[in-house]
Amino acid sequence: MQNAKDTFYITLCNRIAALNPGRTVVVRGVTRPGVLVEENELETAVEMPDAFRLRWTSAKVDAAGALPLVALGCEIRYCTDGNAGNGGMDRGRLLAAMDGELASTVGAGPQSAVKMNYSGTAQGGAPAAMGTNIFWGDLAFGEVVVNGERLERVATVQVFSYQEAGEL
Amino acid sequence: MADLVRTGCATRRAADVLLRAANGRAVMLRMPAPATPGSAAEQLGLATPEFQDVELAPVVFRKARAKVATKKAAEREMLVSATAVKALLGSSGFASASAMFAAAFGVLVDEALLTIVSASEIEAGGEICGYTLLLREPVVLGI
Repeated sequence: MQNAKDTFYITLCNRIAALNPGRTVVVRGVTRPGVLVEENELETAVEMPDAFRLRWTSAKVDAAGALPLVALGCEIRYCTDGNAGNGGMDRGRLLAAMDGELASTVGAGPQSAVKMNYSGTAQGGAPAAMGTNIFWGDLAFGEVVVNGERLERVATVQVFSYQEAGEL
Repeated sequence: MADLVRTGCATRRAADVLLRAANGRAVMLRMPAPATPGSAAEQLGLATPEFQDVELAPVVFRKARAKVATKKAAEREMLVSATAVKALLGSSGFASASAMFAAAFGVLVDEALLTIVSASEIEAGGEICGYTLLLREPVVLGI
């Protein structure tokens, strides 16, 4: 399951960076593409506006086939306060831009990627391609939540992968 | 102008004296080390950052203001000297105290790591003379 989560995150990160290189976030002094996984960051880093935050929620395993099919629920949370220089009056436009970026990266094809094993990167190695793909369904955009001057939205997507032999 | 500058300095010094006189003590501010650029392992939670403890003194806990709710962790207010924070800002490279406290992982008091809930400035005579940190204690397990 972890390989599917890692692959989906890296795929989304690469697609966002290619579509809008300006969508960045600064985490502990380092600038990187504006996508982060909440469970992989310090608690202090998760509330960042103008970035996509992935939260893994549900997990289901269908063991009926030759390989168990895993379905993972993923919430993509994002919010914006608008630009301070514009008095925040452009927050609607900025949220729409983020909606568009998400639709163009997750919603557009191909809605699949080769599953990768990133565990070797901890020792400085390269990620290893696995035998199956991950694939995901269509995005479901939630309602906009107005929190003071902040506009927030949660989009959800289901990510599927086959559990390969020996995979944790 | 010179009088204004002197007044600001005097306010900070007075606050420091008050904190020291009220049994001011030292705590450690736990800061995560900067991230490694381009490291997928860190972004995926495979590698965790190192932490650095820096001393923050003098500080005083306002014990009378500890808020304890049923089945929730207690929250405590800690008053911090602006002089100490200013010295830390100079060495750590943060642009503001709020940015530094936001980036901090917590405050180490003896053996307990308390989470920073919020930070606010204490102002006197138009000068910041201290900071109030609201800290959340670790939840104590009931037996």
